[in-house]
Amino acid sequence: MTPGHDSLQLWPAAVSATATETDVLILAFTVLTLLLTVPVFLAITYFAVRYREGSEADRSPSGIRSNLIEISWMLIPFLLTLIFFVWGARLYIHSKNPPPDAMVVEAIGRQWMWKFQHPTGQSEINDLHLPIGQPIRLRIISQDVIHALYLPAVRLQVAALPDRYTDLWFKADKTGTYHLYCSEYCGTDHSVMGGEVTFMNPGDYQDWLTHAGAQQGKVAAGRALYEAFGCAGCHEPGSSVRAPSLAGLYGSSVKLADGRTVTADEAWLREKILNPNGDRLAEGYKQVMPSFAGRIPEDELGRLIDFLKAYPAPRAADATR
Amino acid sequence: MSASGSIGGTARREPHTPESTIGRKADYLHAESTLRSWFLTTDHKRIAILYLVSITGFFVIGALAAGVVRLALVVPNGAIMTNDTYNKAFTIHGVVMVWFFLIPSIPATFGNFLIPLMIGAKDLAFPKLNLTSWYVFMAGALFTLVSVVLGGVDTGWTFYAPLSTAFSNTWVLPALIGVTIVGFSSILTGLNFVVTIHTMRAPGMTWFKLPIFVWAHYATSLIFLLATPVITTALILLIAERAFHIGVFDPAYGGDPVLFQHLFWFYSHPAVYIMVLPGMGVISEIVPAFAQKKLFGYRFVAYASIGLASVTFFVWGHHMFVNGQSDLASLVFSALSFAVAVPSAVKVYNWTATIHKGSLRLDTPMLYAMGYIGLFVLGGLTGLYLATLAINQHIHATYFVVAHFHYIMVGGTVLAFLGGLHFWWPKFTGRMYSEPWGRVSAMLIFLGFNVTFFPQFILGYLGMPRRYATYPAEFQLLNVLSSAGATILAAGYIFPMLYLVYSLWFGRKAPANPWNAKGLEWETASPPPTHNFLTPPEVPRIPYDYPIQAQESRDQHG
Amino acid sequence: MSQPLADGVGVARAEHFESIAQQRAAATLGIWAWLITELLLFSALFLVALITRIQHPEATVAAAKHLKFWIGATNTVVLICSSLTMSMAIEFSRMGWQRAMVRAMLATAALGGLFLVLKGYEYYADWDEHMMPFLSSRPFALAETPAARLFVNLYYVATLLHALHLFTGIALLLGMTWMAAKAGFLARHQNWIEIYGLYWHFIDLVWILAFPILYVVNR
Repeated sequence: MTPGHDSLQLWPAAVSATATETDVLILAFTVLTLLLTVPVFLAITYFAVRYREGSEADRSPSGIRSNLIEISWMLIPFLLTLIFFVWGARLYIHSKNPPPDAMVVEAIGRQWMWKFQHPTGQSEINDLHLPIGQPIRLRIISQDVIHALYLPAVRLQVAALPDRYTDLWFKADKTGTYHLYCSEYCGTDHSVMGGEVTFMNPGDYQDWLTHAGAQQGKVAAGRALYEAFGCAGCHEPGSSVRAPSLAGLYGSSVKLADGRTVTADEAWLREKILNPNGDRLAEGYKQVMPSFAGRIPEDELGRLIDFLKAYPAPRAADATR
Repeated sequence: MSASGSIGGTARREPHTPESTIGRKADYLHAESTLRSWFLTTDHKRIAILYLVSITGFFVIGALAAGVVRLALVVPNGAIMTNDTYNKAFTIHGVVMVWFFLIPSIPATFGNFLIPLMIGAKDLAFPKLNLTSWYVFMAGALFTLVSVVLGGVDTGWTFYAPLSTAFSNTWVLPALIGVTIVGFSSILTGLNFVVTIHTMRAPGMTWFKLPIFVWAHYATSLIFLLATPVITTALILLIAERAFHIGVFDPAYGGDPVLFQHLFWFYSHPAVYIMVLPGMGVISEIVPAFAQKKLFGYRFVAYASIGLASVTFFVWGHHMFVNGQSDLASLVFSALSFAVAVPSAVKVYNWTATIHKGSLRLDTPMLYAMGYIGLFVLGGLTGLYLATLAINQHIHATYFVVAHFHYIMVGGTVLAFLGGLHFWWPKFTGRMYSEPWGRVSAMLIFLGFNVTFFPQFILGYLGMPRRYATYPAEFQLLNVLSSAGATILAAGYIFPMLYLVYSLWFGRKAPANPWNAKGLEWETASPPPTHNFLTPPEVPRIPYDYPIQAQESRDQHG
Repeated sequence: MSQPLADGVGVARAEHFESIAQQRAAATLGIWAWLITELLLFSALFLVALITRIQHPEATVAAAKHLKFWIGATNTVVLICSSLTMSMAIEFSRMGWQRAMVRAMLATAALGGLFLVLKGYEYYADWDEHMMPFLSSRPFALAETPAARLFVNLYYVATLLHALHLFTGIALLLGMTWMAAKAGFLARHQNWIEIYGLYWHFIDLVWILAFPILYVVNR
């Protein structure tokens, strides 16, 4: 399937510093495992021979107080393994906090394919092309069941959930083509839901972007959707319905009808589009907006939100909010 | 070969308790022989045999499904069967093995048979309830079996929403209903054991004279009682979601699909200890008997059982490190999961210390016990790899997980089950099996198991996801090796079925105590009479009253 | 159980028990263990309902306004009364007043039946108000707030499960009353009444938890 793989491979390729450290971690853990288990295995084998029935062995009590032994073999292995808890947790926290300058790639899972969308608007199915030397943040969601995006080369995976975004970030430092899988069982064709991730030099990546896919910018695509779904008909200033303007909404605080104040972040915008009414109504407005749950595909919703994020506040004083 | 032939070392030890009752009307097997006397029995020993026969049947079905899975994985491109067939096969394997074999395996058979004997009681506290549990178990299990085998279900044994509730077009609903029903059988069995251990102990049988087997079953029963109701709720909600689309696991209606995973693992992680603890109990009986030495650190091992049963309720989140759980929750669950190592280590080191300066016989049950210790240690420590957050992000849901839990479930529970089956076979049936065949099978199973599952650790670290009907070609060699190991393992399973059944008619008659073991179950005849003891048993001064005593017995009991 | 029993009232020892005290202890521990599992079953469900309330407060309140508070409140009183008559039945059984005990048991069953009738009427009213979102043929009254649908559905799961327990309870109670009316019952099976009483109080307790969690908190 992937060129360049041997028929028997004993260690997976690692393309990021985190992946390499994960390898060191598991190797060190394996050394500890051997230290803890080999003596037990050797002891059992030795005892089995030495103390077999009828052998001339000394069976007198050894005279060691047992509580001390018990407590030591309870606590020493435990404390030793805790080193690995701390080490693993540190790496995990690192991998959960993407740097702010990371390039964001959208990933959408559905039965049974992945769709990726680059910040410049190009999208690809199942395969993914990425530059090296730059932090990449995958923002992941599912359109149906729970999936999980798994990239063994960077030693990371995370679930794609139907109701909220999850993310995964890494910085690859080696070029090459590696597997990309769905790792959460998702039905009939679970095992074919995947493809290849190709890490390229930034220059090659730019080339690839130029030659691949449509050149339509993402924000422009979002603007098209903003009109196609009829959002503009109510939310554009000057419309007859007098719905709140969405320009500059992203990141601002919104007062709600029930007195709470929320920040209009990605998750909020998403929820608001899908289920606009009830407890999400903004102060001073009526329940008129229809729900878009089930009416707007996930990738298009993503584009729409990207457009909203980029929609600048009007220079004039905010008249409608 | 003659099954009644030379049996290594066992004939040398003279029985010191009542002679065999086999063939006489007095023993429980021959007291009555009508079908009615079996299907309406309230004798805990007969109910144990009913369970033994039924779970063996389920084991065979689950093993056949595993064979189908391993066959499919011989080639990488899925040429042998469709993805759909493969998915249904691994679902049958998982559902049948987990819900209908592993969970009832040791408690419902050995626990049922031995707990009253070990504490010197005539029966369990509620004999009719005990029979009811078996019928409930069979009703639920057969219902599910029909739906997964004849209808087919493709969700895996974990039934994750929303795949199981809104997307799968298979017979999920009847399978779920059957599993829910089986849960009630678990609750009733656990309830019966807890009450029996609390109220039915013979005079003088104090808590710290109970064999570890009974402690382990007490801990297991607590899990049955405290965890099973939660999975029942989860399954009821899942059934309602699938049948009526109530919205609880559907984000479109404000529900949360991950909520099902929380409810599911709140039960299913403790369920791992439902499978593991009774096995530890079995090993804690076998090792002292074949070392002829008191169990090292009795109190620590007893407390470790309760400790494991308690800690296990607080680690369920380690199944969800990559499922969108908050980072703080993941950190806490990871740390708590490391704590499971403490009571587990207590058990392993104490078994090893028991062998030290013992007088060892390597008969079949002891071979299984030694295999168990080795495989359980590997399974347990690889569990810590999985509990390490950074490593989990890589090997979660890969073959590493598959290898890990098979080391615990097969290397642990199944080996303990087979070890216990050989150890108590003379007590159950009044017959001796063929010792040479027993040893050969034990070694075949150990070999076959490792050849099957060790390559899966490597496959997992290489990044092969689990539940894959097709896979990249570079993983083929290790997969073929694994499938080859499975054929050795299958042979290892077939032998005991043949020679054990053979021994029922042609085996040498067993003495009351063929292993010179301690414990009240060996004080009565083989097989025991209907009400277990003809004369009330005398409770020994200390548990595991073997000829060789460790130093600590003076510290703790002297 | 700690109360002294009248003459001629007691328990016949089953063969596998060593003593009557052991048999009684086993039965009591057994029913408590069972009730703990039942409580956990309902607790998990109530927990899910509370999570729903925390996540979707407005939708939950909107849905809860359709619940028939006064029927729920009346039913709470009905069940508390039934627990009282059940306690009386237990007390009479200890004193050996078989006839009074049977009457108290019948009163308990009747109150349980009244609860089910009221509950049935409440379900009918819900149906009438289009508050049965799981019926595809009948549009849901609060269709525009999806989380309301979730809360209402959880309400049905919880109350139906409780009603199922109550129905089973009434059936068992009537069966037992029929046996308890026969001569000599109290000499052999007095503890059945005690054990059964615990189960009845438990059904009562579940409703006493369900009523505030479903009806009161959300108003």
